[in-house]
Parts: sequence; C-alpha cells; structure tokens
Amino acid sequence: MEYLLPTLRKKQEVDSLIRDTLDKVLVLRFGLSSDAVCLQLDDVLYKSVKDVSKFVTVALVDTTEEEIQVYLKYFDITYVPSIVFFFNAHHMKMDSGSADHTKWVGTFQRKQDFVDVVEEHMVQGCKSSLCNCRRYTERQ
Amino acid sequence: MNHNNKKKKSKNEQQEFEFCEVCRLNHNNGRRHNFFPSHKNSLSSLLARFQSKISDVKFFLKTPMLILPEHTHQNRLWCVFCNCDILELDSQFAWSVISSNAVGHLASEEHLKRVKGFMWKYGGGMDRVDLFRITEADFAKWEKKCKSLKAEAAKTQSVGTSNDIHNKHNAEIVNSSCNNNFDSLKSCIPNYVVPLHSYTNERTPLSGSVLSSSVSKTGPSLYNIPGGSQVQDAHYLKNLTGSVSNQHFPNSLARECSSYGDASTGSVYSGVRAGIGEVSPGLVNLTHVSSASKVALEGNVHTGAPPPWLDGTKGDNLDPALKPESREPVSSRAGKSKLNPKRVGAAWAERRKLELEMERRGERVNNNFDANWLPNFGRVWQSGTRKESRKQFQIENDAMREPDNHLEAVMPIQPYISKRMSLLIQSLICSVRMQRMILSASLYDAEAYCKTMCE
Repeated sequence: MEYLLPTLRKKQEVDSLIRDTLDKVLVLRFGLSSDAVCLQLDDVLYKSVKDVSKFVTVALVDTTEEEIQVYLKYFDITYVPSIVFFFNAHHMKMDSGSADHTKWVGTFQRKQDFVDVVEEHMVQGCKSSLCNCRRYTERQ
Repeated sequence: MNHNNKKKKSKNEQQEFEFCEVCRLNHNNGRRHNFFPSHKNSLSSLLARFQSKISDVKFFLKTPMLILPEHTHQNRLWCVFCNCDILELDSQFAWSVISSNAVGHLASEEHLKRVKGFMWKYGGGMDRVDLFRITEADFAKWEKKCKSLKAEAAKTQSVGTSNDIHNKHNAEIVNSSCNNNFDSLKSCIPNYVVPLHSYTNERTPLSGSVLSSSVSKTGPSLYNIPGGSQVQDAHYLKNLTGSVSNQHFPNSLARECSSYGDASTGSVYSGVRAGIGEVSPGLVNLTHVSSASKVALEGNVHTGAPPPWLDGTKGDNLDPALKPESREPVSSRAGKSKLNPKRVGAAWAERRKLELEMERRGERVNNNFDANWLPNFGRVWQSGTRKESRKQFQIENDAMREPDNHLEAVMPIQPYISKRMSLLIQSLICSVRMQRMILSASLYDAEAYCKTMCE
C-alpha cells in the first residue's frame, strides 16, 4: 500500500509531517508492508482517507527503516500495526480499552470505525481532552 | 336489506378509480369529478388550446395553400379527442396542400363521434361540438379550392423556360426562408424580376425590418411555418409573372389575411400591391419603424458589438444600493478563526503558521529543529509530565550510544498509574491497615483475657 498512501522512511520526514500538520489530526501508522494485518489496516485507511481528508492526514511509517527505530522506542511500539495520533504536534492519548492509552494497536474491522475514531480525536483535540474510544474496540 | 345493498353498490362505484384525461389524474369520484372546479379549469384550458389550433387549420380551410413536401413534416396536429397525431405526409405532387390531412381528419365521422363522446364524458357541453370539427359543407368547399389550386400548380409547371427560372427562384426563396434566412430573402425579393405592367414609381421598396417583422407574425402560430409569408410572397409573385388572370387569388388572400385580423400581413403586400394600383386595407394605420441607422452606429451581435448591459459607461449610473458589497480587507479576516483558541496545541499551531508564512516569503526563521527533535509524547512506562518523559528518553538514547555508562539498568521503571488506580490502591491499603488494627486489637484483647483467666 506504499504507492497509495504517503510512506515515511526517514526521521526528518516524520518530524516535518508532525510539525507541519496544523489543526488536523495526524494518523501515523507504524507497520510493515509485508504483514497481513498491516495490509488490512492500510486498506481501511486508504478507503477512508478521502472521506476524512478535510480534517485528517494519514501517513504510513515503515518500521524496518533504521532511522525510524528511534520512534519505535520513543513511542514504545512493540506490536504492529500501531497507530499514533497527533494534533498540532501534540500526541493524543486515547482510551481504547487496553492499558496502553498512547496508541491504537491492531487494525480496524470497518472503515466506519476508523472514521469514528478520528472524528473523536478531532473533537477532543478541539476540546483539549482525552479521547474515549472504548466502544470501537468493544465492537471488535 | 335492499337499501343497504344500494348503498354498498354506490360506495363500490365511487371506489372504482378511473383516469381523467383532462386533469391527467386518477380519481374515484365518478361523475362528480366533472363538476370540480379544478376539472372545469383544466377542461376550459384544454379546449381553448385546441380551439386555437383548429382556428389555424380553419384558416387554411378557407384559403388553401401549397407547400413543398419537404416542409410538410413541420405541419403536425395532435387531436385531443382522438389521441392521435396527424401528419402531413402527402407527397404525390411537387406541391401539397397545407394541413390537408388535418382538415380531412377534422371532417371525418370518427372524429365527430369521439368529440361527442369526449364532451359527454368530461362535461364539455354538447352544444360546442361543432367548434371542434369541420362541417361537411366547409369540407366540400375546401376540396373544390384544392382541386383548382392543384390545377393551377400543374399549369404553371408546364409553362416554358421563363417560368422554370421563376419556379427555381421560388424554390430558392422557400428553401432559404424555411432555413430562417431572412437576409437572403430580403436580398432576393428586391432583385426579383419585376413584371413590366407594375408601376415602379408606385411600388415602395420592401425594407428588411418590415419584412422580417411581418414574417415573424404571419401565419398560424401552431404550424410555425417560418416560410409562411414567404410562401405567400413567392406564390403571389409567381402568379404575377405566371398568369395575369389569377390576380384574384392574391387579392382574396390579402383580403382573407386582413379579415383574419393580422394587420401585419397586409403590410407585406403594401409595396407590391401598390404596384398594381390597389391599396391594402390594413396599411394606413401602421407605422414603419426602422432602426437601421442606430444599428449601423452601435453594432449588433453579428458585428461583434458588446451587449448593452455590459457597456462600461453605463456601469457608473447604477444605483449604489444595487452595487455589490465591497469586500472586507483580507487582513482583517486573518485574525478571525473559527477554531477553538483553547484547543490542543493552539499556541504551537499559531506559531508554526507564522513560521511557515515567513519561510514562504523567504525570511529566516529561528528554529530549534535539529535531528534529535522529538514531538510531545506521553510515554507508557514513564509517569510525570511529557517533558520529563522526553528528557528521560533522550538520556536513554545517549546511554544507548555510549554503552560504557550502562545507565539503562540504573533507570527505574515508573509505570503510569491513573488516578482511579491510585485511589483504589490507597483504599486497599487503608482497608488492610484497618484489618490489621482490628486483628491486632482482637489479639490483644484475647491475650489480656487469657492472662486474667490464668490469674
């Protein structure tokens, strides 16, 4: 799915995208292009990106690249795919039902689930509060 | 019982739906529907429209005319009573009579029956049946006229070369007129061969504006024959050159035109008819208006002149109330934002936008973005503020680069504990302590009791 969504392989690219995405939710997917679950998630992201393009920016980050290892440690990413949400260069925490409130681990079963999650992030980002996305994991 | 049966029957009759062709809707009101005001209005409008079409047909009934078979397809009539389309597809002769099929249909017995049936069914009034049909007497008169007309047409076609030239010219005129090429018609007629017996000093030139205006007004509106008057002109002129004895035809035609009430048609013949010493009755009261001089100065669509409403000089005269509102300066709107000023990262966003604008202008921006820049992130296994977690990570990173220090093993792991969890833990601790106190108290009491017992 690297040819469909922007794929980042360097730290500088990730940094610039985080810094320059303003007043929009930034979705960074950390994963592998060869992983089946990652591919399913990428498919959902690709289908949804056009619908949410006005308030969401989606980018894929290849975890095999050397420069990205820093972010894997910083974000404590051990399972892929993992999605980290940012709003105005600020990390957005979310309650997805697990103990880890810093990221979304796994894939989305439906396109609408992803849309709902990013909508929640956008709303809470404008309100400056925590995102509660438990219901989207309970569905799965 | 019989009374109830009758009621049921009447109810059943009312419940049966039928389609009203006048109103174009289904109803279950039975015969009562004909007395509804909506139906009456629809019926009156329908009959009025068809009446106008029939009046056009009756015009040609009184004065039959010839038309080329190429243009007969333009003559179509939809009979409302019979629900059929009447086409003019008679191609037996080089010239066919206008609306011959329509006249034949309206005079037929089937049409009469259907008209009567329609009037009875939809309440149009049986006394008005004759308005929507052609009587046998009128039809017979029309047939006679058609025969004589066709005989004349056959005669004129059999005349020598001079008339052949005129016939060709007539065909050109008709074709050009049917293509709505009024300019060519205008150029054709003045250059037409004028018979020697016409008085040139009495004949007034046909101006293009008069001709075009009359052309547009002449003829039945239904048929929309663009060459209607031109046909008349061509035929009239052809008759002038062809046979002098048939002068009665154009005279009667003009008379019929004037009696038909269209004064503009009389003006078409004003110039030509003056040439033979007769004056059309409808000429005197008309005023000729020519705008050729103005058009030549200002130009028109064909010369490529701009339309008058786009004229720049007239724009200043607009009412200020009608002028579009002046746009607010963009700079005043720049400060206004619909976004919440208290949103996450609002300060960062504003600052970053300014920096980006400065970069676009080419100015230098003081950024602290080096290769080690990290975003604001709350780590999983570190509690405290995000700045602290970032600092700790940077320290870890440096330690990883310098394996000699082994600081990673020294860094304590401080997992994040939520407030709820901390409260729960505190409550558990308190309960445990209370239990211990109670237990210890109970143990103390038990010991004291044992001592007393021993003593």
